[in-house]
Amino acid sequence: MRRRCVAFFAALCGMLAPPLAAQAPNVEYAVKATYLYKLAPFVDWPAGTFTGPADPLVICVAGEDEVADLVDEAVKGQSVGSHPIAVVHLAAGATTPCNILYLAERGNARAAMLERFRGMPVLTVTDNAAAAHGIVNFVVQDNRVRFEIDLNAAAANHLTISSKLLNLAARVLPRP
Amino acid sequence: MLRFDRANVMTAIAAAGVLLLLLAGAGIVMYNEVSYKEAKAQQVEAQSRVLASTVTAALAFDDRKAAREYVNALAVDPQIQAVAVYDARGHLFAAYARDGEHALPAATAVSDPRLDGDVLKVTVPVAQGRNTLGSVYLETAIDPISRRLERYAIIALLVSMASLIFVLLGLAQRRLAEANERLRRQGIDLAEANENLLAQIAQRESVEGALRQAQKMEAMGQLTGGIAHDFNNLLQVILGNLELLQRRKLVADDEANRMVASAVRGAERAATLTQRLLAFARRQPLDPRPLDVNKLVQGMSDLLHRSLGEAIRVETVLAGGIWRVAVDANQLENALLNLAVNARDAMAGTGKLTIETANVHLDEPYAQANEVRPGQYVMIAVSDSGSGMTPEVTAKAFEPFFTTKDVGKGSGLGLSQVYGFIKQSEGHAKIYSEPGDGTTVKLYLPRLAGAASGERVAVGAPALPAGREDRRILVVEDDEDVRTHAVTMLKELGYTVLEAADAESALRLFDAHPDVRLLFTDVGLPGGRNGRELADALRRRNPELAVLFTTGYARNAIVHHGRLDPGVDLITKPFTFAALANKVHAMFERCEVTAREAPQP
Ligand SMILES: Nc1ncnc2c1ncn2[C@@H]1O[C@H](COP(=O)(O)OP(=O)(O)O)[C@@H](O)[C@H]1O
Ligand SMILES: [Mg+2]
Repeated sequence: MRRRCVAFFAALCGMLAPPLAAQAPNVEYAVKATYLYKLAPFVDWPAGTFTGPADPLVICVAGEDEVADLVDEAVKGQSVGSHPIAVVHLAAGATTPCNILYLAERGNARAAMLERFRGMPVLTVTDNAAAAHGIVNFVVQDNRVRFEIDLNAAAANHLTISSKLLNLAARVLPRP
Repeated sequence: MLRFDRANVMTAIAAAGVLLLLLAGAGIVMYNEVSYKEAKAQQVEAQSRVLASTVTAALAFDDRKAAREYVNALAVDPQIQAVAVYDARGHLFAAYARDGEHALPAATAVSDPRLDGDVLKVTVPVAQGRNTLGSVYLETAIDPISRRLERYAIIALLVSMASLIFVLLGLAQRRLAEANERLRRQGIDLAEANENLLAQIAQRESVEGALRQAQKMEAMGQLTGGIAHDFNNLLQVILGNLELLQRRKLVADDEANRMVASAVRGAERAATLTQRLLAFARRQPLDPRPLDVNKLVQGMSDLLHRSLGEAIRVETVLAGGIWRVAVDANQLENALLNLAVNARDAMAGTGKLTIETANVHLDEPYAQANEVRPGQYVMIAVSDSGSGMTPEVTAKAFEPFFTTKDVGKGSGLGLSQVYGFIKQSEGHAKIYSEPGDGTTVKLYLPRLAGAASGERVAVGAPALPAGREDRRILVVEDDEDVRTHAVTMLKELGYTVLEAADAESALRLFDAHPDVRLLFTDVGLPGGRNGRELADALRRRNPELAVLFTTGYARNAIVHHGRLDPGVDLITKPFTFAALANKVHAMFERCEVTAREAPQP
């Protein structure tokens, strides 16, 4: 009886978290979109980044891709601690103050953006970037969305990443 | 009583101590139990909170693998039975169950640690700021009651050991108290036994002393008595011849007459001395008559004053209703005079002489210690305020020729006369004296048996107890005059009397008249048997036969250690009508009392 019970729970767990392959591709992008704000509690911005508890956490989106399209949807009704979440789609060349920056651009444009935000307290996030990746770079492993973390880049941007997050990372690029 | 209480108190204290220890032990166990559970609850809550905080990222990023790793890491603790992580919607996210078939709650609400049997369960939220990401459920086993009891066993052991010590101490204390009590009682018993023994020894010593003294006096009496008797006869011859010389005027010469007169005086003084010696030896003929000692003492007052001189006051304290006694009045006067003279000598000219009379009863212990019969006596005490005597002098004072006075002043025969006379009168004499405190000599004279009111005696016709015809008396006496006299007296009194001149005819008479109740016999009888042997022979035929001996002085044949056998009595010659009447009557009365008291066959 018990054994059957456990088996049932295991099956249930499996059903609740089906592998990505079995889902529509936009599920993967939706997950990535939610991950953007879910990263925030595990990141320490330098003191003075937020002037008050009601200051919004600003998520900037540069460029266009499937994830960028879903960000507005994903943060709806969400908050990070006491901070409400604001999403800003950056016009080319604009320098709005950001806390998290999702780079949907590719190639040189992305590298230039990374270079532009280098040294600023901004958590840069890229998706599946082989080279010129952000501090956090989404990857898909075993049909699941995972992420790599570049501690070097984080340090350059004066950010501290929680070890809880590092534990989940598919790969951590350590500081030299 | 007190000691007994103390033992009880000790027991109570021991019991209370044991109870306290048990209570304290139980208290410690209960406290430990509670605090163990509290600590365990805190521990399990802390463990679940740690998991909740580490699992946040895994929940946030839907990383079941990482979550399972955290869960498994917690399972290293062997007491943890089950761990589960639920997501925000309450779905199971990661789980561990130690025994593999553990039922986990499908979804669980947040709750403080709660105890379910030996299992402690807790559910804490996984929160990130205001957001709840899910919950963590933890089940941990607490030590089973048996394990906890094992831990408490050491406390129980200590408590029981302490209790045991308490109980043993209590018991030991009780034993000790009991042993002490026993010892104390034994000590008391021993002391009592010792006291009794000492008292018995003292009593025996005093009785033996009295007996020795009496025997010594008896021996001295025989010695002096024998000499005095012969001496008296010789003096009788001397005096008689001197008287003849004087009466017949055989001596014409004045010178010679003076010499004869002087010889007569000397012989008379010698006769007085021998009289005293005879008195001590109890061989002087006494003439006992019923008398009132108060009257006798009053009558002596002139004589006493003359003998003592002006400087010595004489005081008399005479008891009212004094009993009658039957004694020789002249000898009693002599005795009192002797005491008065001694008192005068002891007071050296001035002082006070007191003569006191009283009715007294000599009880058994006193009588035994003083060689006297217990009973009622009239006491005459003569006290002086003189020099007194040391105990050594007191002890010897009654002996003949014992004197502390210079030659010519004292003869040592004064107190011996007193002693002999009192003894011969069946009384008792005793000296109380302390050097410097004066001396008291007490004389005890037996109360006259059956004496009625004193007045009739004083008139001279004593009312004598009458005899009865059924009281048959056998009189045995070789002296015909004496026998006739006695027989006449007894017949006159109303008794039936048989008479015999010797033992043989007495025996024949007794066999012919076995109803003879009293034998009245002289001690000295002619022929084969003396009075004593006759009495023995008749008493073998009738053990209840009363025997009254009469004798001049040969007492030894009937008296043992100064005592007469029961049922045997003695009357000394010459006896008076009254003395015989009283004696015989008293003996019949006594016999009948004993016969009545004896058990019927
Ligand atoms: N009343 C008395 N006070 C002190 N001593 C006494 C008294 N009566 C007797 N004595 C002592 O007892 C002794 C013997 O007394 P007693 O027989 O009368 O002989 P005596 O008077 O001739 O000495 C005396 O010498 C005296 O020492
Ligand atoms: Mg004298």
